[in-house]
Amino acid sequence: MYQLNEQQIDFIINDISARGVEMETLQQDLADHVCCIIENNLEENGDFESFYQKTIKTFYKNDLTEIEEETLLVLTYKNYYAMKKTMINSGIASAVLFTAGSFFKFMHWPGASVLILLGMFIGTLIFLPIFFMFKKNETVNSKEKLVLGIGVINGMFFSLYVLFKVFHWPGANLLWFFTLGIFALIFIPLYFFSGIKNPTTKLNTITTTIILIMLAGVFFLQTRLMSSKQFYLAKTYNYIQYEDLLLKLQATKSANQNNEIEKLANEINQNCNEIKTMIISDAIGTTSIPKDFEEKQITFEEVGLSSQFNIEENGYSKILKLKDQINTYNSIISSHKQAIQMQNEIARMIDKKLLQQSNFNLLYALNQIQLITLQNKQLFTSEKEI
Amino acid sequence: MFYSSELIKGTLKTIVLKLLANNKKMYGYEITQKVKELTSDKIQITEGALYPTLHALESEGLVTTEIEFIGKRVRKYYKLSTSGKSKTKEKVSELADFMETMKFLLDIKTKSA
Repeated sequence: MYQLNEQQIDFIINDISARGVEMETLQQDLADHVCCIIENNLEENGDFESFYQKTIKTFYKNDLTEIEEETLLVLTYKNYYAMKKTMINSGIASAVLFTAGSFFKFMHWPGASVLILLGMFIGTLIFLPIFFMFKKNETVNSKEKLVLGIGVINGMFFSLYVLFKVFHWPGANLLWFFTLGIFALIFIPLYFFSGIKNPTTKLNTITTTIILIMLAGVFFLQTRLMSSKQFYLAKTYNYIQYEDLLLKLQATKSANQNNEIEKLANEINQNCNEIKTMIISDAIGTTSIPKDFEEKQITFEEVGLSSQFNIEENGYSKILKLKDQINTYNSIISSHKQAIQMQNEIARMIDKKLLQQSNFNLLYALNQIQLITLQNKQLFTSEKEI
Repeated sequence: MFYSSELIKGTLKTIVLKLLANNKKMYGYEITQKVKELTSDKIQITEGALYPTLHALESEGLVTTEIEFIGKRVRKYYKLSTSGKSKTKEKVSELADFMETMKFLLDIKTKSA
């Protein structure tokens, strides 16, 4: 029986770690194991060095790190099936929730935002990371791993963008450009060059790359369609001018009538102003549009009305109230010959579901209503003077 | 003759668990030697199969480890945890059942051939 000395034990421990075994517990296991074999099998005056090299070679096929890799694999895949199940279930849940949420949003049903948010969270925080872990172990070379990693990050950014977009948070467009930039300038080229070198995947890589480029083109077109900044600027400017005119007219003095019409007109005005404030703060976060909105780069986008205007919400009840107010106003005013009857634009918008389509349309309609009440007021004033 | 590593792979956990049930605590080398001795060299567990299995059993909470220092050497003893003890019974009876089924299945095949 051979007796190992301290230098020899040090040599063994160092050699095992030099061969690439990094887990300390595994190093200890292997070192003790080799020591046992040597001590039990080497003759007392045998050659330690050559016997050690011979023994350690029996531990592996190509190199010693195989044992560590196998250990890590076993540890990672301990929950292999549970993880795979989670991945599939979370993927399905995320897709269903997101699709349902989009549909709800489209129909202006309540709960859309919650569904979308939930779908996004499950997709980005559960599905994508597990997907990455599985795929990472399947791919061998580091370039493919990089492509996969960037693809997953790209997907996460895309979700983030959708989230910002759906909730009208600022920065959505910036995120969009970032996502599109990574996709078109980094992901596609990397994907192409990592796949093209492998003869077995060459054709597949070429066709997929073409589809990806087409997809990037469609996305880019989408960018053009959705951020027609000049268009929104013109609309916003238009509204501000309208609003200015209204304020000037409201400031001109007219005789106080103290009658029912005046009272109703005031109520209509107030209701209109409240609704306008809601629309504006939904779009840009402040209660009014600053005069220097252009310099401040505030974009007031034309979008559907927010969930505040869903049935039974505050905004919707204000609009219903306005519709009734206009009808009452019209019935009272009909006794005055010269007075202008108001087209009940609001009733029309509710009927034709125009409310769902554009915040600007509603703003314009409200301004029109306010202008007509003012005009009538002046008509009555001149009537009195005569 | 000794058995192929494919055959051993599916049964290694059970083998290790059963050995640990019969012996209070064992270290890696001891396990390989014991198996060799009990099977008259027919089953030779490789280091590359044994340690990943031991670490997996540890992470599943079926075995615990105990460290002993021998000079500069660190010896790690593996022993069954409480859940490991019940798991061993389960695994052994599962394997016994499997062996019965295999016997039956292979018998049919040899008879029909």
